[in-house]
Amino acid sequence: MINARFALLCFLFLAPAFARARTLEVCASCAYNTIQQALDASRDGDRVLVKAGTYKEPTLRITKKIALTGENYPILEAPKGQEILVIDADGVTVEGLQLQNLAPHYLKDLAAIRVHRKGFFRILNNRLINTFFAIYLEYAHDGEVIGNTITGTAVNELSSGNGVHGWYGEYVCIENNTIKGHRDGIYLEFMHFCSISGNHSEANVRYGLHFMFSNDDHYANNIFRKNGAGVAVMFGKRIGMTDNLFDYNWGRSAYGLLLKEIYDAKIERNRFVQNTIGIHIEGASRVAYRQNTFQRNGWAVKIAGGCLDHDFSQNNFLSNAMDFVLNGRVNSNTFDGNYWSEYTGYDLDRNGLGDVPHRPVKLFSYIVTRTPESIILLRSLFIDLMNFSEKVSPVFTPAGILDQQPLMHPIS
Amino acid sequence: MKNALFLLTWLLLSGCKPTPKPIEYGADVCAFCQMTIVDRQHGAEVVTKKGRVYKFDAIECMVNYVAQQGSESFALFLTNDYMQPGALTDATAATYLISRGVPSPMGAFLSGFGNEPDARTVQTAKGGDLFSWSALQDMRQKKGFLGPAE
Repeated sequence: MINARFALLCFLFLAPAFARARTLEVCASCAYNTIQQALDASRDGDRVLVKAGTYKEPTLRITKKIALTGENYPILEAPKGQEILVIDADGVTVEGLQLQNLAPHYLKDLAAIRVHRKGFFRILNNRLINTFFAIYLEYAHDGEVIGNTITGTAVNELSSGNGVHGWYGEYVCIENNTIKGHRDGIYLEFMHFCSISGNHSEANVRYGLHFMFSNDDHYANNIFRKNGAGVAVMFGKRIGMTDNLFDYNWGRSAYGLLLKEIYDAKIERNRFVQNTIGIHIEGASRVAYRQNTFQRNGWAVKIAGGCLDHDFSQNNFLSNAMDFVLNGRVNSNTFDGNYWSEYTGYDLDRNGLGDVPHRPVKLFSYIVTRTPESIILLRSLFIDLMNFSEKVSPVFTPAGILDQQPLMHPIS
Repeated sequence: MKNALFLLTWLLLSGCKPTPKPIEYGADVCAFCQMTIVDRQHGAEVVTKKGRVYKFDAIECMVNYVAQQGSESFALFLTNDYMQPGALTDATAATYLISRGVPSPMGAFLSGFGNEPDARTVQTAKGGDLFSWSALQDMRQKKGFLGPAE
């Protein structure tokens, strides 16, 4: 009896759901010829399946909780001066589309896919080619942007927009996207509690990833390669940065990572390879650096004024032109227990720790900070002598900056 | 001989005359916040009386920098015109719009206009309030720092 009642209840509740789950197909010979027609006819819970083809339609506004899915990457374009897709409902999925050719506009930030004041969206496995702003999230929350390939063709064109642009929002997951040739690969302003992982951001005009006024975010396992500069984290609190690769961010003022006005950050297990500056730090406090590897950078770490409580330990400093540059007053920072390929000390008691402290700041780095042109003397005998004599009897280099327990072997 | 001497003096003097330099978008770095300058509508520049040029990615960075350094050492103040991307205009004579509808690089929602009717047009479309150069300085003084309007 109870079972029969339960079955009846189930039927009564689920019947409307079964009735609603429809698939609306769009193609030249289907029931719907344009995506707009299918959107108009759709109801909450439906799936609009777009078959391969080219669809040039005015801005498509999704106002129902549906899935818009492409089969074999149908091509979507919009007339000049219009956006392609606007998500204007909660719980929308957009998957497998190719959105392309959105011309730059000076007064409007036109985007291929825009999410406006909505949540629970999923933007999956789309291709966005030559779009001004590719994915624009404004006041968006609880969403996923996963597996998209975003390619801006305007590599040197400075009127380009950002690949993924977040402006006000929280709990957004940006994962496994490939982003090339935009202004910033990923730009997040006033975005909190977001996770950015597994992305490949390359050859963007400004930054691979850019945080502004955002708190409690975490980015991990990303690759930032050959961007104007790798990642800029500015004016934020409690940002986690782990297992990322920053490489070939090379140029006059390029850096792998810029920290500006940052509090309580964790930087762990990242690799900084062949950047002009590995990490450039200005006005940041309470930052812990663990198990990072700095390899073949011009400057591994450059610390400008106003930096408090930076704790470097278990990092590898391998073959950098200069490991540390300090500019201005720097207080209560620790540098104990790192591996320095420049370390020339010895380990008589064989405990794995060098018996004499290492001084990571060379006298020459002070001269270079004052007179950048003197960098041409970097490998000269005179500079070597000067650095050596300073190491033997330090006069200019601050006493506090030394590694009391330099490691004899690199951390793997 | 006399002409040559005159020419030399003129060259020496003109070398120090404060003249603006174009901003290299995508390469120049903001003197205040270290960000690369890419936005052609919100960039700014100051030139010191000795002719040294400092460039900024946002007008709010220029205002904060000038306040930090003291305005007396600067000869020229320039800002991008929002309506003519890439063009620099006299910042002290410009009209400024602070509007939630027009984001600027450093979060102050601040844009500059070479002529007032343009500013009014954008204000009508996007909302917000108009300010003069001196009103902007007063606002900075009151808030201590021009930044995110939260």
